[in-house]
Parts: sequence; structure tokens; C-alpha cells
Amino acid sequence: MKRSYLPVALLLAVLMLNIIVTQYMVHQYFYQNYVNTIVAGVMNVVLFPLAFIIYKKGVNVND
Amino acid sequence: MTDKNNKIPFNEDNYTHNINRNNERKLDRRGFMKTLVGAAGVFAVSSLPWGAVAAKELIGLGDKKYPKQKITDVTAIPVGDAVDFHFPGEHDSAILIRLSENKYVAYQNACTHLRCPVFWQKEEGDLLCPCHHGKFDVETGAPTAGPPRRPLPEIYVKVENGAVYAVGVKRYEA
Repeated sequence: MKRSYLPVALLLAVLMLNIIVTQYMVHQYFYQNYVNTIVAGVMNVVLFPLAFIIYKKGVNVND
Repeated sequence: MTDKNNKIPFNEDNYTHNINRNNERKLDRRGFMKTLVGAAGVFAVSSLPWGAVAAKELIGLGDKKYPKQKITDVTAIPVGDAVDFHFPGEHDSAILIRLSENKYVAYQNACTHLRCPVFWQKEEGDLLCPCHHGKFDVETGAPTAGPPRRPLPEIYVKVENGAVYAVGVKRYEA
């Protein structure tokens, strides 16, 4: 059985995006750009199912 | 038979010999990915309240609305003079100053130091609190001298049909 570490790398990238988007969201809120805040928040929410899909694919490959 | 009862069963000094941990503390690839997905979920959930408060600001629920209130007639207040009124409540005293032909400013006139009334000094051209000689800039309400550190709350005014109306209070920004 050969493990693939590609999903792990992808998940780490997702987590990095999460951090970036969260900080952007908070800063845009305090800069009173509320539309940008909402866009960043939606992006953060969308990243979670993406991470879940990556996890599912990564597990199935090796089982 | 005495020998059978007088025996220590295991040559060990622990009582957990029958617990098989089975590498339960080992963080394998799958467990690590699960952690990452959980972290993404935490980020997603924690961004919900930010979106909620931003939406609230966009819809404008944060702004308080007061019915507009007539302060004075334009003809009753010469340029450079001030008139006292109350807005938005009857105990919130305020001051309207006519700076030029078309420029009016209004502030709630409780000094931001200890809430003494603030007076308009026509000759000096600034707002003075006589209690501790706090002074405020008449254009912005910002404190310029003395103990107060915060600006006077500004009241939005509108001129309509030869009368000056108070329409709202500027939101406090720390």
C-alpha cells in the first residue's frame, strides 16, 4: 500500500487559506467594508466542505 | 497448595498489564487529516458571527432613528450666533451654531469630561466648558484644550423651508 500525501498537502493549503481569509475578514470588518467581510465569511464556510471532500477522497484512495 | 496462594502472579509493578493500548496515541496520516478538516470546520463556524454583524451593518440596524425636530427658524439665528435646544430626548441638551450663511453645526452640549454644559464663545470662536476650561473645536467637536478627551457628539442638521431641523445623532466611534 502506497500512501498518498497529496491530500495532506491540499488540506494544509486549505488551512492556510482559512487563516488568510479569516484575517482578511476581520480587518475588512474594522475597515467598515462590510461586503468584503461577508464575501470572506462565505469563502471560509465554503472551504470546510472542500476540506471534507479532500479528506474523503484521500481516505478512499488507500483503503 | 500453600504454595499456590502465596504467589505473585506477575513479575511487574504495574496493574495495567492487561490493557492493550494498540497505538491509540499515534497520530497517523488519517488522524492528521481529520484534525485538519476539524480545524477548517472551526474556521467556518467562527466566521459566521462576523458575517452576521457585517450584514447587520449593511442593513442599517445599527443606526438609531429619531424623528426630526425643528430647532429654530433661519431668520431667528444670525450668523455667528448659537441657540440651545434638546435632542433627541428632552433631557439631552444640545447647541446649534450658525457658522456662516449656509453652514450649521450642532452638538450635544454636555462636556465629555464631567457633563457640564458647553457654551459658544463667539469672540474666541470655540466651544468652552467653564467648569474646567475644556475647549472644543467648533467645526468638528473635537477637544482642543483642557481635560476632555472625547469629541462632543455631533447632531446632524438639515435646513428646510426656512427652518433648521435636527435629524440624527452621529454614531460614537471609539
